[in-house]
Amino acid sequence: MDDYFDYTKKLFDPSKTKEKPEVFKGLRVLDFTHVIYGPTAAKILGQYGAEVIKFELPWVGDLWRFGVYWGSFWRHSSVCFHFVQYGKYFFALNLKLPKAREIIYKMVEQSDVVVENFAAGTAETWGVGYSQLGKINPGLIYLSCATYGQYGPMRFFPGWDLLAQAASGVISLTGYPDTDKYYKLPDYVGDFLPGNVGALAVIMALNYRKKTGKGQYIDLAQAEALMRIMPNFTYESITGEDLGRVGNTDPAMAPSGIFKSSDGKFVAIAAVTDEQYKAICQAMGRPELITKYGDSFDRLKADNAKELHDAAEAWVKASTAENLVNSAKKYGFSIGLVEDDYEITYDQWRQERGSVIVFQDDMYGKLMIPGPSAMLSKTPGRIKWLSRPLGYHNRYVLKQLLGYSEEEIKQLEKERIVGYWDDRPGIKPPVYYDLSQDAMFNYKG
Amino acid sequence: MSKIEKEQILVRYGGSRKEREEFLRGMINPEGKPEVLNDVTVLDVSYANLSGDICSSIFAEFGAEVIKIEPPEGDPSRKITPYGVNRNGVGVPFIMEARNKRYFTLDLKTEEGRRDLKSLAAKAQIVIETYAPGTMDSWGVGYRQLAEINPGLVYIAISPYGQYGEKAKEFINVPDSDITAQAISGVCANIGDMPGSGEPYNWPLRAGVWLSWYISGIEAALGGAVARYYSQATGEGQMVDVATADSYASLVGYPVTIGFTWNKARPRIGIHDFAIYPYGFWKSKDGIVAIAAGRDHDFRALLKVLKLWQHEDDYRFTFDRIPDILDQVEQFYKIIEDRTIKYTSDELVKMALEYSIKSARSKWRGGGVPIIMKVQKPATTMQNPHWAKRQSFQEFDDEMLGKFKMPVNFIKMSESPPRVKWVKCKIGQDNDYVREKYLK
Repeated sequence: MDDYFDYTKKLFDPSKTKEKPEVFKGLRVLDFTHVIYGPTAAKILGQYGAEVIKFELPWVGDLWRFGVYWGSFWRHSSVCFHFVQYGKYFFALNLKLPKAREIIYKMVEQSDVVVENFAAGTAETWGVGYSQLGKINPGLIYLSCATYGQYGPMRFFPGWDLLAQAASGVISLTGYPDTDKYYKLPDYVGDFLPGNVGALAVIMALNYRKKTGKGQYIDLAQAEALMRIMPNFTYESITGEDLGRVGNTDPAMAPSGIFKSSDGKFVAIAAVTDEQYKAICQAMGRPELITKYGDSFDRLKADNAKELHDAAEAWVKASTAENLVNSAKKYGFSIGLVEDDYEITYDQWRQERGSVIVFQDDMYGKLMIPGPSAMLSKTPGRIKWLSRPLGYHNRYVLKQLLGYSEEEIKQLEKERIVGYWDDRPGIKPPVYYDLSQDAMFNYKG
Repeated sequence: MSKIEKEQILVRYGGSRKEREEFLRGMINPEGKPEVLNDVTVLDVSYANLSGDICSSIFAEFGAEVIKIEPPEGDPSRKITPYGVNRNGVGVPFIMEARNKRYFTLDLKTEEGRRDLKSLAAKAQIVIETYAPGTMDSWGVGYRQLAEINPGLVYIAISPYGQYGEKAKEFINVPDSDITAQAISGVCANIGDMPGSGEPYNWPLRAGVWLSWYISGIEAALGGAVARYYSQATGEGQMVDVATADSYASLVGYPVTIGFTWNKARPRIGIHDFAIYPYGFWKSKDGIVAIAAGRDHDFRALLKVLKLWQHEDDYRFTFDRIPDILDQVEQFYKIIEDRTIKYTSDELVKMALEYSIKSARSKWRGGGVPIIMKVQKPATTMQNPHWAKRQSFQEFDDEMLGKFKMPVNFIKMSESPPRVKWVKCKIGQDNDYVREKYLK
């Protein structure tokens, strides 16, 4: 039998991804979403092989096309938009017009999933709600993503990642208890995580449809998805107290925390089990602590945890990060160096694993983007292209899916039912790119 | 849309507001509806790692029969709990994730225990484990052995650096924890105060929830659901691998793309945001409010609400407000704070809301929607009538665990919604049931 790591290396080999089958091949997703939360749900389905058609308003486009960090675009596009929207078909259709609605209804007949994240009820007003589309295609799975959900007194409240974090209460948990500062969870994770939960819900619904043939409606509230990751409610109902902000430690593990080593590196250390606690005490050269706090519940009491935290802090301060890591390998406790963006990007193991992908795109060239969070050995998720300018796939969608002729498309363009970009970066193609040579943009059918 | 068109659509597709309201009301309660995974058995062999319990909880909420397999003395993750708070030896996070599960004890250190696990795996559809990579394999119950007896098996493994590659091999003796996973995956590097604010406040900071473990658990469930869908269609199982030291970075994507395009790391910028402004927290007379008014028209509206119109000229466009000059953003922060501090949180919320309602009703839709919200704490979230109406929380009463509340029904589905049917987690409580059903 092979060595385990040789075996798994072959099993997961990222260079073989393209040859492996796609789970959702043949499924079509209509994506009426914008910014991050809704688009992420559709993206995940696309990652596993579904054909995702993203609708945008012509000459307007997704708001997140302009969501750039510190105001700088990359090749006239937003990198932050690329990794939220990769692998989709970009179709710019003016939903507000009745003729556009007819086009959508035709597409719904041959689609499997619809995702939207407008304010509650907006999709209905525009004629693309579940009560309308579900009747055209009873097998349709329809995911509505809103901050507060579709039902309840606060359903019309607008929401962003920040406000979902505020509404769920997760916002009040990060920071130092002795200050008046609260930190939000970074990187809009309040959008990304609920977006992934949305994809999970759709996959469950697809599973159900496979067995029964029935489609269904999914009402996903962003704030509820965030509440699902908070044992704080249970803590509160058991103790009557708010767990609140806990500073730079994990109150469920002692010792635990992020400390500074003698060579100025930030090192996270934690003892999860009794075994690991013993290991840390030995590594620290404080064996007397092993018996002093032998019981884990006792160890976790605030005062005792503080004593252990201070001991660990002093130990880390006197040692280099490298020595600490070696000691963790030898004794067997949990350790991790704080990594920043640059270190994460160029960390070799992430590229080997396929968690960081050096992607070569036909239009934008080289960009490093994240791979899927879960690696599947037989049907891995994959990335086919980055995002595209507004309306880039108009011809492909109209000809391939709906059988429109070139003349009919010209007429739609003239009536401004479908459209493209204007001169703003974010929605236009990069200036160096020659669109007249692009077979997809000029799709002949 | 004209009135006639609207009617045509209503006639054609029969949608109406009333119908929709009734439909939604009927969706809130999952009782009596079928469950998606009622034909799936999950073996959860996770050990000292809550991400495994989280993953199996999600399958259990969707109706799978989840058998949590523990050593006779119980899984150490029972004892992972803030300040040691527990009910009869069970910690808070473990209670939270003890949803609809069966608890079964097996000693995997013995030949007999491994044999039983194999027999169980022959009848199961999904296995979840969190041991060091290769541990289960060396016991003869890893993916390659179990796949031989059950080719349709979906095998989910969660570990710090995943199941393959040099790093995973090198760190095989280093166990997983949430705080270290947060540190390695880029959570902590991007939380914390600005460089000049003094130690330790400008240090990388841990997110105050078990973020990496929850993300890893949810991603494992997502990957597992995809694999299950494939296995149902083709009869072919596979291995799903989640690395907790990575899952956050690949979920949000920012660290990598910023690292590549900036060729350096972001600094920590405290309570500010890199792309949107205003987007953060401000002090009010009696507390703290969150303000989001990123789009230009939202921002103009905010200026009007706070009576700061004189600054409109300086901060007119998104790109004027983006905090790439930190001194400037601090200055602007102060300008807003000088106003917000004069009002109570409730007043601020009301002011923004009144403006938004007016602007949403106006024919000219460019009025903007400035959002000001009170920062909620878990206690106030639980009291919000909105969530009561959506049945987002449920109280449980168990003879061992006592009374407690937890968030439930986190996804509302019209046909096959997830739900929590019971929360019980006595060690070995279902030994007879499992032996009777699967090992006879």
